[in-house]
Amino acid sequence: MEEILRLEGISFCYEEERKALNNLSVSLYGSEKVAVIGNNGAGKSTFFLCCNGVRKFNDGKLFLRGKEIGDSKKERSLLRQTVGLVFQDPDSQIIAGTVESEISFGPMNLKLTKEAVRKQVDDAIANMELEAFRNRAPHYLSGGEKKRVSIADILAMNPQLLLFDEPAESLDPDNKRLFEQNLDILGKKGLGIIIATHDMDFVWRWADRVLVLHKGGLAADAKPEDVFSDEILLDTCGLVQPVLFQVGKIYDMKPLPRTVSDIHKLRL
Amino acid sequence: MIITAVLTVIVLWCLFYGSIPGQVLIFFCLIMGGTIAVFGRHKKEGFLIIDILARKSRLYHVNASLKFWTTIILMILCISSNSAVIGIFLAIVMLFLTVIVGGLKIHDYMSMLVLPVSFLLLSGLALLIEYGGSPAGVLNLPFFHGYLSVMRTDQIRTALVMSKAFGAISCLYMLSLSTPMSDIIEVLKRAHVPDVIVELMYLIYRYTFLLIEMYYSMKSAAKSRLGDIDYRTSLRTTGSIYSNLLARSYRQANNMFDAMESRCFEGEIRFLESRKNMTLIQVITAAGIMLITLGLRLC
Repeated sequence: MEEILRLEGISFCYEEERKALNNLSVSLYGSEKVAVIGNNGAGKSTFFLCCNGVRKFNDGKLFLRGKEIGDSKKERSLLRQTVGLVFQDPDSQIIAGTVESEISFGPMNLKLTKEAVRKQVDDAIANMELEAFRNRAPHYLSGGEKKRVSIADILAMNPQLLLFDEPAESLDPDNKRLFEQNLDILGKKGLGIIIATHDMDFVWRWADRVLVLHKGGLAADAKPEDVFSDEILLDTCGLVQPVLFQVGKIYDMKPLPRTVSDIHKLRL
Repeated sequence: MIITAVLTVIVLWCLFYGSIPGQVLIFFCLIMGGTIAVFGRHKKEGFLIIDILARKSRLYHVNASLKFWTTIILMILCISSNSAVIGIFLAIVMLFLTVIVGGLKIHDYMSMLVLPVSFLLLSGLALLIEYGGSPAGVLNLPFFHGYLSVMRTDQIRTALVMSKAFGAISCLYMLSLSTPMSDIIEVLKRAHVPDVIVELMYLIYRYTFLLIEMYYSMKSAAKSRLGDIDYRTSLRTTGSIYSNLLARSYRQANNMFDAMESRCFEGEIRFLESRKNMTLIQVITAAGIMLITLGLRLC
């Protein structure tokens, strides 16, 4: 897998005495499914804002496809285009009067031609199945629909890495299922997907790799089974094991079930 | 609603007293008051659905620039005229366009119109009635050792002011009930209104809905904890809600700026514009209405 983004020794402070990120180093690749977990205030959102270049870190270096990103507008734009960030609250992200113009905001900022913008907007709308809402005002949409608009916002910029900050927190079960289906579609397109979440069951079911943040530092970077087997780590970071992981351990299932249908298969 | 209906009856009675026969006047006043009472039931938070109604209207598909500039010209003609006929003519034309052509329900139209009409009626009442020591008007009511009088000149002046205002309001309602705010902002942008104003309009429009949503959720939360149990508590609750709104809107603005920056925002808000084509029949209709209005204005 190609390395898209590398952070080296990143530190960031909101206030002098409180470090939101502390000497954090990590590499992110295309086509991988990464979950970022940690308790509240662990630095997940700040980590994402630094990855996208919205927050300028105090120390450290950031590399995009091996090339260091400096302070120039061009480099920042390239970083923000390549690493798309979907915010936790769609209402923080959505600014336009219609879904179509909202989705066009990013591509228009990239100074593309109108035809190119139109094509990217149309593709993003088709990908997120938003055709019926194209001319609707975003504030009249439901939470799940707004979330799809906020994802289409970023998709329209053709990113290589997609960062989701707690994407399913306010979604109902139906919309959560739809969101996971969308993730599968995006994954198949070869996008690297990084999701910050508190939903350990989702992490266990979905992720290939888990980053555990604790007090602004990287406490672990491992496969889900390794992270959830490390009880000291979980205890230190205030995390819990996923339900299916616990069930698999209790009944000594091998391999450990990731979904309920895995349990059915193992029992057969 | 009932108050507006009663106000309608009183103002119309004062306005036309002495000009038309008594029985006809009673009938006319009751019809108008009844219409307001039946159709004009104001929906709570109804203004929030203006955009939805606009998108449902058949006039939504008409070019926004054409609608906008026609409305502006008609409003200027209406306000600058010295005849009540233009206001009445425009009110009827706009009612026809919005309800018959646009397909908006008469109840929705009336319920939207009733709020500005209430203010208009109150202003009309203030213009109509004078207090004096002797019964000098066409209508005189004894009041505290004097008389509340309605003069003939006041009737004419009030009819002119109210018809102008009503005509202009009707034009604006035709525009806003057939053109979503985002389209109107795009027209202003094309008209070279300064970017800073257009961008502020985009953000204010978006934030109006967000803040109202926040306000109602905070209000419900306060109500659920008896925050409106008595007048004093209610006042204190409202104060707290407003201060919280300020703090939250500040935080929301910061988050929104982050989200805009994350999508390569560099100081200029730009969206893809989608223009609707003008058809010949639309241009002819708009020109026709403007010419008739101009003709009435010159008569």
